[in-house]
Amino acid sequence: MNPTPPLNGIKVLDFTHVLAGPFCTRLLADFGADVVRVESTRHPDYPWPSSYIHADGRHASYLNTNRSKRSVAIDLKHEAGRAIALRLATAADLVVENFSAGVMSRLGLGYETLKALNPRLIYVGMSGYGNTGPRRDWTSMNMNLQGYGGLMLTTGAEKDPPIAISNSWNDYIGGLHACFGIIEALAQRETTGSGAHLDLSQFECSVSLIAPLVLSSAVNKSSPKRLGNRSARYAPQGVYRCDGRDEWCAISIQNDEQWRALTAAMGNPELGSEARFANVCERMRHHDEIDRRIEAWTSQLPNTEVEKRLRSAGIPAERMRRIQDIVDAPDRSKAFARAEEPRVGSMLTTTLPLSLSFSPSAPFRPAPKLGEHTQEVLKDWLGIPDSELVELNERGALV
Amino acid sequence: MARIIDFGSLAVAYATRLLAESGHDVIRIDLSGGDALRRMGPFLGDNPHLEHGAYHQFLNAGKRSLSLNVESPAGRRIFTELLQKSDALVASRPLPLAEEELRNIRPQLVFTKVEEEEAELCAYARSGLLSLTGQPDGQPTVLGSHMIYLATGIYVAVGTSAALYVLNQTGQGQTVCVSMKDCLETFIEQAMVEYAFSGTKTERRGSRGTITAISGALPCKDGHWVISQINRPGRWEKFMDWVQDPELMADPSLALDENQNKKKDFIMDRIFVWARKFTKTDLVEEAQRRHFPASPVSSPLDLVEDPQLIARGFLKEMNHPKFGRILFPQGAIASVRGNSLSPAPTLGQHNREILAELGYSEPDHRTLTEIGAI
Repeated sequence: MNPTPPLNGIKVLDFTHVLAGPFCTRLLADFGADVVRVESTRHPDYPWPSSYIHADGRHASYLNTNRSKRSVAIDLKHEAGRAIALRLATAADLVVENFSAGVMSRLGLGYETLKALNPRLIYVGMSGYGNTGPRRDWTSMNMNLQGYGGLMLTTGAEKDPPIAISNSWNDYIGGLHACFGIIEALAQRETTGSGAHLDLSQFECSVSLIAPLVLSSAVNKSSPKRLGNRSARYAPQGVYRCDGRDEWCAISIQNDEQWRALTAAMGNPELGSEARFANVCERMRHHDEIDRRIEAWTSQLPNTEVEKRLRSAGIPAERMRRIQDIVDAPDRSKAFARAEEPRVGSMLTTTLPLSLSFSPSAPFRPAPKLGEHTQEVLKDWLGIPDSELVELNERGALV
Repeated sequence: MARIIDFGSLAVAYATRLLAESGHDVIRIDLSGGDALRRMGPFLGDNPHLEHGAYHQFLNAGKRSLSLNVESPAGRRIFTELLQKSDALVASRPLPLAEEELRNIRPQLVFTKVEEEEAELCAYARSGLLSLTGQPDGQPTVLGSHMIYLATGIYVAVGTSAALYVLNQTGQGQTVCVSMKDCLETFIEQAMVEYAFSGTKTERRGSRGTITAISGALPCKDGHWVISQINRPGRWEKFMDWVQDPELMADPSLALDENQNKKKDFIMDRIFVWARKFTKTDLVEEAQRRHFPASPVSSPLDLVEDPQLIARGFLKEMNHPKFGRILFPQGAIASVRGNSLSPAPTLGQHNREILAELGYSEPDHRTLTEIGAI
């Protein structure tokens, strides 16, 4: 038996836009699914506005997020276009969309309609708040979910303002949860023979990641303290300023032996034998003072030197890497790889950061031009003859 | 429904929780005496007890607990017998037997091997994510709530689920390898793309957004709120209809994307001055009525009463044997599937039940308990 990617042969009709949905369907494509994006010249889509835009209108963000997919251009507001979309949905295993609540129904492509045509269909909605509940019509962006989902007020220390992360964290978290739910639904379909409607809420995905603290608040009737860079188990722990502009090193002392090694590395071995720093409880009590002493030492040295000295002494320490440090590093991570992209020769792209010993992942393919695969997919999936394609084109259904 | 063994720390515990949310039979092998996960605060009822940890109570819900001394010969034997009757083993702890032995015992096994990082802060610093989080002029900050482990856990769940799907289709077992280091680095994707294509270096921006100009959390009368919008034709004018700020309205060129980006801090500062006299609810409801993406900034305690989480059954009342009637977070997948999870098991709660499933008698159970195998 020749090993194939796990989702080989699974047909995905992808109505998603921006990032969470397209990220999810890229994961499915890497697992070998045949992902067909339904696109339109009327609403050119990109996951985020990039600083590089190719002559064909594709943003760098699109090239990375929508690689390994095919594109069909259909006018969903055109009657014949909508009819084609319905036929594609009838042939599909999966429909994924992340419109606001109700949009797919207004296009005549709601779950009930498609289910009647294709009872084995798995239909996935990934709107901001889900298609039910009092917030179903709220629109949301990543930053909204960072604030509303609790990330901003669980990050940082007590009295800090809300703290965000400068990336679309929640889109990735929502997309990953959706991908998991989809593969599970495909497996369950093997047993039950019927499809499913997954009405995912990206808000709930975000809240899930801080749910232990929500649970604690529900029982204790107060939010737990914000710890910043400190730990409830180890001390000292922190991100310390080093020599240079905005240079930092993270240090986490996980036992008494490491504490003594740290004080020796700092040239203050006498601190290591002081009773008031002798164990983790004492060090937590005097954390502010310890931080000042550590920083008096680190601020004299480049962070590479702090990291080197501490690690050779067996202490967990890592300098703060910037994006360029990760991307330009000679031993670059397995998270990124080069992929062929004819628009620019080749590009660095995100990989699936996991490996299966038997099932390969699918090879990278360049992101599609808008409508590049319309004819090909209509033939592959539906067996539509050339003559009908010409006619559809003339009627303006394919745009 | 598959039987899955959970033998790991935080990332694995969230991965197997997702599998439990999806309806699988998950058995957590608890170390006798209780592991670090059970010792993580905060504690429910502020009681630092093995059964009170919030992470334990959330992450182990929906699972069964088998407390096993895997170092003892009898404990190893039970582990082996359990493996023979399981579909997947998800592990980040050292295993009681060699990897090749797993396949001999159970050729069709899905074995997910996870490398979890022990020093969270260091892992975050190395991944590049630390440079994206925190005040621009202050100390960069790790994401709260240990969420980088849970984020890794979703990848672990995805990989395990894909391998289970292959098992289901072909009868083929396999090993899935996931490293937390690689998973974390994928989350810098956005900054990576901008840097690789045009040298743009993304930096941390406190509570303000980095992608679009009008984006971020701002203080208001009773806390903070978030406004975040993509600029489309006509949006700026509609926004000004609402905000009515004379300084912003004096410069109509701000309707253009590039001008907004150049003056994004000025724009956000003006919005702050205008918004601070209103409450979160006033601002967010009016913004949503006008189709501007806005939301409150919530603390964990605020979320306990959130009408959307309650209406959709994400937060559901549970009669907990220890804590009584509480609102319990079911999780994003359980919420979608309409499943309700059982409360997290007490240490070894299902020893007797699981041993019976493996064919042990009641006297066997007593003997195994006496010799300290369970």
